[in-house]
Amino acid sequence: MGFLPELDDALTADSLTTLKRNFGLAPRVYRAQLLRPDLVDAQVQLLDRLLFSKRALSRVQKEFILLTVSAENNNSYFPALHCQTLQFLGVKAEQSEQVAVDHRDANLSESDVILLDFARKLSSDPHSFTELDVESLRKSNFNDEQILEAVLMVGLTQMLNCIQMGLGTEPDFKPRITFPLKEVNPPVASERQILEPELPGDFVSDDPDFEIVVRVRDGETDAFEELVRKHGRRVYRSLLGILGSAEEAEDALQDAFLKAFLHLPNFEGRSRFSTWLVRIAINTGLQRVRSRKEVDSLDEENEEFRPRNIQAWSDTPEEFYSREELRRLVEKEVMKLPVKYRVALMLRDLEELSTEEAAAALGLSIPGLKARVLRGRLMLRESMVPYFSKAGASKS
Amino acid sequence: MISCRDFISELGNLLDADVASEFREQLEAHLAHCNTCQVLYDSTRKTLRIVTESGSFEYPEPIAEPLVTKVMDRIRSGCKLEEPQNAD
Repeated sequence: MGFLPELDDALTADSLTTLKRNFGLAPRVYRAQLLRPDLVDAQVQLLDRLLFSKRALSRVQKEFILLTVSAENNNSYFPALHCQTLQFLGVKAEQSEQVAVDHRDANLSESDVILLDFARKLSSDPHSFTELDVESLRKSNFNDEQILEAVLMVGLTQMLNCIQMGLGTEPDFKPRITFPLKEVNPPVASERQILEPELPGDFVSDDPDFEIVVRVRDGETDAFEELVRKHGRRVYRSLLGILGSAEEAEDALQDAFLKAFLHLPNFEGRSRFSTWLVRIAINTGLQRVRSRKEVDSLDEENEEFRPRNIQAWSDTPEEFYSREELRRLVEKEVMKLPVKYRVALMLRDLEELSTEEAAAALGLSIPGLKARVLRGRLMLRESMVPYFSKAGASKS
Repeated sequence: MISCRDFISELGNLLDADVASEFREQLEAHLAHCNTCQVLYDSTRKTLRIVTESGSFEYPEPIAEPLVTKVMDRIRSGCKLEEPQNAD
């Protein structure tokens, strides 16, 4: 039950017909407002004219706007309802869910991605919304009537989300996806949250964590503790490598495990649990770096890296330094690497993940991962030359 | 004949011992007469050894258990697992 009574018999016949035709039922969010049936009628008419009717944007485009904006608001009610509705329209539930989680990774056309970027920005960051954003739609061949509908759909969704949250309306369908954390629709494509890294083959049958994962999914929450204990070190080190601060790594570790717990029902075993977890940790770390707005580009660089400082090293150059000095030196120089090379290098050379696991964790192709690791190793080598070359390896 | 550029592009695979034997022979033949690539290969290999054996970025024991507790406390205090199936 919500916060106010639902007066089912107060719904007018016209509204009931329209709602049933489009949803297959009279959703609770409208029934919850029946102390004022006239206002429900007005909303249903607005839905009918804006969302249900085809004028400028397609019905599916408008439904996707509703999903994206609701997800941006961490609203689980409307994605549950409208994923169901989209199935009536021939859109698979998996695709609708992916639109809600990250529309950029939902196999949409380029123009639809731009449309949903527009909707998302207008809903989440209206103060930085400008005419340039409208222009971006025009450049993608949206006409003014379509742009108007897009803006109205964002406004309608905000209103509906607000009503549902204000009335405490419970879902008509149990949500397949929920948004307890501000993690959906990451701001740039390179840090998309892909919860299940794709690996060749179908399922990983030898995952040592499989049994614990099943127990947790069956409701045995305490079993998750074993996974936290077992993988904490790897998650922490991955995050420390990305964030460079022990304190931040500790906070991000908690977030990463929490996300893993919440998304465990989506884990289908196409990778090892540990790979999936590291990927969540990396996304969590990168989101934090992004929010600091000081990250270097994660895009690929075509520029070739040319090693310099070609000076011979002695056989055991590390003997000039104590273990503690070496540890500090490596940490200092690794942290100077651009984040994309640093993370790749750390996963391969410190965490000792296989190339395939590291590529899956970072969402890269195998050649892409290898290129980053090599670049990271060469850059690190370069920075070590003053300490370890025959000419430089004398402690000053 | 392998060039220095070809060698560098294969350096990662060579370090990871992920090169077919025939190709490896060609890379080694290049190394035998190219001092620059020899130094590059040797110093990168040593860099890797130093990195892997340095014990860097360790997970400090004193924080490990408190972090497990914090994570589990947050999970037990209200987080719910998502429901993968629709209700009837």
